[in-house]
Amino acid sequence: MSAAEAAASEGVSSDAAPRLNKPKHVQYWKRCLKVYLPDYYTANDSTRMALAFFTVSALDLLGVLDESMKEEERRGYIDWIYNCQHPDGGFKGFPGGSGNQWDPATVPATCFALLSLLVLRDDLTRVKRRECLLWLNRMQRGDGSFGETLSGEGKVEGGYDSRFGYTATCVRWILRGNAEGEVDGVPDVDVDAFVRCVRAAEAYDGGISEAPFHEAHGGFTYCAVSALAFLDRISSLSSIPLTVQWLASRQTLTLTSLDVLSTDGDEATAPAVVSTPPSPSSPGFDVPAELRCSPAGFNGRCNKLADTCYVFWIMGSLCNLSALDVVNVPAAREYLLEQTAHRIGGFGKSPEDPPDLYHSFLGLAALALGGGEVPPFAEVKPLVPAACVSVETCEFLVGLPWRREVGPREPEAIERYLG
Amino acid sequence: MSRKPQNKLTPLSEDPKWEDVIPIPQEEGSAHPLASIAYAENYSEAMDYLRAVMATNEMSERVLELTERVIRMNPAHYTVWLYRARTLFTLNHDLYAEIAWLNPTALRHQKNYQIWHHRQTLINALDSADGEIPFLTQMFEKDSKNYHVWSYRQWLVKRFDLWDAGEIESVEELLKKDVRNNSAWNHRWFVVFGRPDTDAFKDEEIVKREIEFAKSQIRLAPQNQSPWSYLRGIIRQASLPLSSLREFAEEFAVFGKMDQVRSSHALALVADIYAEEPNGTAKATLALDMLAIRYDPIRVNYWEYKKKQLPPSSPVAAGT
Repeated sequence: MSAAEAAASEGVSSDAAPRLNKPKHVQYWKRCLKVYLPDYYTANDSTRMALAFFTVSALDLLGVLDESMKEEERRGYIDWIYNCQHPDGGFKGFPGGSGNQWDPATVPATCFALLSLLVLRDDLTRVKRRECLLWLNRMQRGDGSFGETLSGEGKVEGGYDSRFGYTATCVRWILRGNAEGEVDGVPDVDVDAFVRCVRAAEAYDGGISEAPFHEAHGGFTYCAVSALAFLDRISSLSSIPLTVQWLASRQTLTLTSLDVLSTDGDEATAPAVVSTPPSPSSPGFDVPAELRCSPAGFNGRCNKLADTCYVFWIMGSLCNLSALDVVNVPAAREYLLEQTAHRIGGFGKSPEDPPDLYHSFLGLAALALGGGEVPPFAEVKPLVPAACVSVETCEFLVGLPWRREVGPREPEAIERYLG
Repeated sequence: MSRKPQNKLTPLSEDPKWEDVIPIPQEEGSAHPLASIAYAENYSEAMDYLRAVMATNEMSERVLELTERVIRMNPAHYTVWLYRARTLFTLNHDLYAEIAWLNPTALRHQKNYQIWHHRQTLINALDSADGEIPFLTQMFEKDSKNYHVWSYRQWLVKRFDLWDAGEIESVEELLKKDVRNNSAWNHRWFVVFGRPDTDAFKDEEIVKREIEFAKSQIRLAPQNQSPWSYLRGIIRQASLPLSSLREFAEEFAVFGKMDQVRSSHALALVADIYAEEPNGTAKATLALDMLAIRYDPIRVNYWEYKKKQLPPSSPVAAGT
């Protein structure tokens, strides 16, 4: 029995625990699937594949994917994704470009396309696997980092950070499991060089940043740790205890800018937000503990406000490190369910904020995290933290005949969630 | 930020400048697309023309106008910026004029990667950082923790060798305004310890200076985690004993006066120091218990996890 199942068999928390207004969330995501998104999503037009992924994966986590679409629609969605496949391998972030060098595949879009196809139960046989793997190798730079896209001259464009390393290693995992050596005659990416990049971006406080000497950040930490999970190289982190400490430190009671807790008189020159309870010597410090622990969100960087998405980035990272139980998960769920869940469904970034697809998906995905000693939240399907899709969807992938042939062994951080 | 200008744009189809171009409409390739967006008409039209000029690889003044029109509505488009940069270089366009256009764009779209990449391409080609630091200061006035701006600033310092050009002073200026600005703390770390070809951790004078600076800032606001992380980072990377911080940490949290703790970070540090001492487990356990119960109860599980990692307590220590 897997850890997730073991936890599931223990059932959910007490009657007093806040609940998910599931019908509203289902309604929100069905609307995203069927109705045109409002024009302010134009700024996300180039990353429609990510929005597509959030939509189908959310419906899957809510357990309503099949009832949300007719068979003909499901096939239509799959065709839409394949229409974004680039002839030379990989997927584009949106359809209908110029058809030349200005219309390239990107690493994140390829990851989101493959995951969406799996959620829709496509067996990926129309994926140009060999071309995709060849292209993926070209997306890795000499220093080991991955970029976003290739220029017309074959130069790797885009940042050097772990967002691209994460999505690249996810593509690798989907298409070739954790196989070493050649697949379809294509050599593996340079795993050791990539791992060196991750280590170089470790910050002095134990978090992981965009690049060497940049500030530790929850999103980059999740991407880096999840990439190591796909590569079965979690143990390559310089210090897992230090990273766990940094992650645990991200849990915060400072939920909005109005929550600037009054602190010592000697701190009056520093009016910024605090990440922890007021200074212990201040008058407010002796409030009974139970009143000060919940709801509690997560921030992405030291001394910043809580934000829905960081509940996922931080708790997801901890899951990969088998350490979710070092944080207060019930307080985080309460933060999501009672503070940032919106009455029309979905989640906003902060309390009172309107929902958007990004925060709505990550809020739901955060609720779906469990494992170890933390029982999963019963109203959503359990999720594989690194892959960001349901356990069921991952099991569908690893059960595909071609996948069993190329990658018979799953990385440990994935395997322990599978049945 | 006004939305008026984009609504008043002349449709390209009515502009004689564009009459030779046949726009290419968006092909979804399926009767059931995902994530369809209700585009404004002028966006759809601009994208149709963009596809057409990209398809012929046109590099012209009107391409600059068109890319500007697209960027205004979709600044995260990943090839439109590359295309614009190529066009600028092909036309030998005035790059300072481009920077002048880019500045308000960056101020308008605070959370955008592409703008900063574009800026880097331009400034790299101009081979001059003139005016950059004042502009970044303007960005920091809006958000002194903007991640993209700090990343760009690191690139600037490295590219133009600005290590001694006032970086530490500007960090201190920002910390005076907000001692909890972790981005500013991180930048200090970069400027002091990130210089290529030097190992500041081996320079006793620098290490001492930085330790004293962190301590002075902790005394201003003992519950601020940023300088504590900075301090412990130095101790770790300079391979100094954690116990060298004992006296300082005990200014804020000391065994025997657990009801007078002034900083949970100090208490966590003394717990780690006690844990390293022979027979220190009992004292460390008490410190961790105080964190769990009273001073940092939100992290009760974390402090319990730390307790499990302590060496077993000896009978003598338990009695102290």
